[in-house]
Amino acid sequence: MRTKTPSLVITFSATTDAMAMESYCQSHDLPGRLIPIPREIHAGCGLAWKTTSGMEDTFTAALEQAGIRAEAMTTLELWG
Amino acid sequence: MMIKVNAMGDACPLPVVKAKNAIKELGGAGTVEVKVDNEIAVQNLGKMAQQKGYGFSSEKVADGEYTVTLEVGEAAAATGVEDIPEVCAVPADKKKVVVAVNSNRMGTGNDELGAVLIKGFLFALTQQDELPSAVLFYNGGATLTTEGSASLEDLKNLAAQGVEILTCGTCLNYYGLTDKLAVGEVTNMYSIVEKLVTADLVVKP
Repeated sequence: MRTKTPSLVITFSATTDAMAMESYCQSHDLPGRLIPIPREIHAGCGLAWKTTSGMEDTFTAALEQAGIRAEAMTTLELWG
Repeated sequence: MMIKVNAMGDACPLPVVKAKNAIKELGGAGTVEVKVDNEIAVQNLGKMAQQKGYGFSSEKVADGEYTVTLEVGEAAAATGVEDIPEVCAVPADKKKVVVAVNSNRMGTGNDELGAVLIKGFLFALTQQDELPSAVLFYNGGATLTTEGSASLEDLKNLAAQGVEILTCGTCLNYYGLTDKLAVGEVTNMYSIVEKLVTADLVVKP
């Protein structure tokens, strides 16, 4: 059956920041993927990094290391 | 006691009707195993199980083949089956939506952004409450269903929910990807045209 599972969603103020995040995470073997910002978070257009729920600390450190500024981190139920 | 029911090819509400008859035939506690060919039928049987308190499990055996197992306990059996509604979870007027993907980019302008956008589009498709009946891939879109595509996880997810993932065989051949198809099935122009002309709505990203 189709089920929703919690995910950590990291948003950015610019599309290029989200794309830079994808490059950084891929080159550092950090789990996740780019997705369009879910409507539950933001009504507008944009990209977000979706990853495993509960990894806030890992990604806060990664963002700092990469020099990318995130807008927000939200945990959200998404279709699996 | 176990009764096996074959509801392959049966339109809603027949799988539920057949399952009801089998439960009646059990005459008490037991197991009914129903074979169906679509996800909606699985959902309808799940709804019935939830309403009546039957144990429920389902397994996708192959593309277009699901086995639903209903465990009927003594208490649930005693309540009979007459009050189970024979309604379809999906209204008869549900729109048949077909998505046609003709490129591995979404829109024109910047190719890097276009690749990110098509990936986002296919993810967003998995997040819809109502999924399309089929997603067609042709020309450059055919590369999205093959090994190495960043969208495979999403497309496999859609396929697991009963969405047909169909890729143009001529296109796979043209790109030298015939042996690299990683999700769904190969189709031909007749099937593509048939899907498009019989759809209520065609969506092109």
